[in-house]
Amino acid sequence: MPREAEPSQNEKDFVLKAVREGHRLDARALDQFRPLDLKFGDQYGVADVTLGKTRILAKVTAEVTVPYTDRPFDGIFTITTELSPMASPAFEVNRPTETEVLLSRLLEKTVRRSNALDTESLCLVAGQKCWSIRVDLHVLSHDGNLIDASCLAVVAALRHFRKPDTSIEGDTLTVYTPAEREPVPLSWLHSPFCITFSFFGTVSVGEDEEKDIWLLDTTRLEEQLRVSSCTISMNKHGEICQVAKPGGAPVEAVTVLQCSNLALQKVKDLSDFVDQKLAEDSKRRNKGGLLAELSAENAR
Amino acid sequence: MPLDTSTYNLALLRVDGRRWNELRDQRGQMGVQPSADGSAYLQMGNTKIQAIVAGPNERDASKTNSSASTAATAGGLGATVAVGITVAPFATVDRKRRGRNDKRLQEMQTTLAAALAAAVQGQAYGPRSTIHVSLHVLSQDGSLLAALVNAASLALVDAGVPMTDYLVACTAGSTSSYAAADEAADPLLDLNTQEEQELPFLTLATLGASDKVVAMVCESRVQLARLEGMMATAADGCKGVRDFLDRVVREKGEIMVQEGAVGRGEVVSSMDLD
Repeated sequence: MPREAEPSQNEKDFVLKAVREGHRLDARALDQFRPLDLKFGDQYGVADVTLGKTRILAKVTAEVTVPYTDRPFDGIFTITTELSPMASPAFEVNRPTETEVLLSRLLEKTVRRSNALDTESLCLVAGQKCWSIRVDLHVLSHDGNLIDASCLAVVAALRHFRKPDTSIEGDTLTVYTPAEREPVPLSWLHSPFCITFSFFGTVSVGEDEEKDIWLLDTTRLEEQLRVSSCTISMNKHGEICQVAKPGGAPVEAVTVLQCSNLALQKVKDLSDFVDQKLAEDSKRRNKGGLLAELSAENAR
Repeated sequence: MPLDTSTYNLALLRVDGRRWNELRDQRGQMGVQPSADGSAYLQMGNTKIQAIVAGPNERDASKTNSSASTAATAGGLGATVAVGITVAPFATVDRKRRGRNDKRLQEMQTTLAAALAAAVQGQAYGPRSTIHVSLHVLSQDGSLLAALVNAASLALVDAGVPMTDYLVACTAGSTSSYAAADEAADPLLDLNTQEEQELPFLTLATLGASDKVVAMVCESRVQLARLEGMMATAADGCKGVRDFLDRVVREKGEIMVQEGAVGRGEVVSSMDLD
């Protein structure tokens, strides 16, 4: 299995010393994100997230299938992640690395287990027919902070996605093509976002006082040097969906609490960003105001 | 299943009759497996774990990071800690076989390996050695990750692996679900399966009795305001668990002295056996 190249000793020392003094190689503040961009494709449900040099593509697809026998009233919702060798030479096809397992578990916990997508609304005929929503996540370029960027891509793609409209008359289920009826958005309950804090040991402030140093949105180099990390998933209403600090160097409990408060701010920013991009996209698609006429939704 | 919270508010007693800050009955034993380098059996309520430590051995590069175990390196250039978890098919109420590629287990292995690596003084062995910890879940009744951490910690002590302190873990929950914006929600300590299924909870692993968080896992939706109370409760629980582990270790030491396995020499006198 190819291993990731480790940074040289000089590089390590330089980055760590700079971080201890409160500087980063790309001149960002410690809690600043890299330039974030979100583009939607021509199709519904394609989101392309660029965070610095990290680039992630998420695509949502839907098909009608038979629900699981133990959950006849629920639709099927899966997130698959693929870290291809394109993103980094350390990744191999068909052999999930630890990074990939952790990433898919985190997304699963953040988006699926927190009920962001109402799976009951995907049910068409109980026990017989339901929608299966699948998100395929491709990492196109890996320069750190895969988790935050992936989560953003998944949430944005799902919120952008439209599934074909359906109707049931008696025993016949009709799935309409986009030409017949305007596709409908998924029943989306809340938008969770991940914020990953990377810890780099402590610096002393004053007498006997030590402060944990942490960075937000780390690059790949910084990620290789961190001593531990903590990913907090939250929505803008201040509900924690998931917290994961998978081992690594110990961090004061107070720091974790401070981080969670800061995460809420950042999540609100990200939430506004996605809302704004979605609004821009729908404006772009809605040339001539046709959408309002095609929509079957009532104004409530 | 009746909601635990509905009865809790009346008597402030939980389904198994505990108060909010009570740990379940804990039992521990060291050296249960004579052929292993270190072993321990730990019971937290009805969660029962057997931990076996092998090593430090020379690293087998082909075997690390396979699906059966996950490894993490302790202290930069130190030894590697490899963790494998096996859940017995009879561990839960409904008997089922788990595949080897269960992502939940793999994630738990990664968390455990990285957490243990933070406590183990790996530099004592050098980078080419591996400490294998295999954990067997014999019975599962909530707080699984916490019990695994504690059992592994005890087995590492039995193996004589140098550690900065006991790595201890405990779970804490909150009595109201995420939907209710109930400010008066009580935190609960050390949840069992029934409570885990109904209430939001987190697992906290700390280094000894300090407030230093080594690992923290929360998989349920919970208000941000609840986090502090839950973490404080869990940290308190960790202190209780640490005292318990310490007692087990000291009892074992005393027995070893009585049996004459260790002479009452210089080594033991510094241990301060009461």
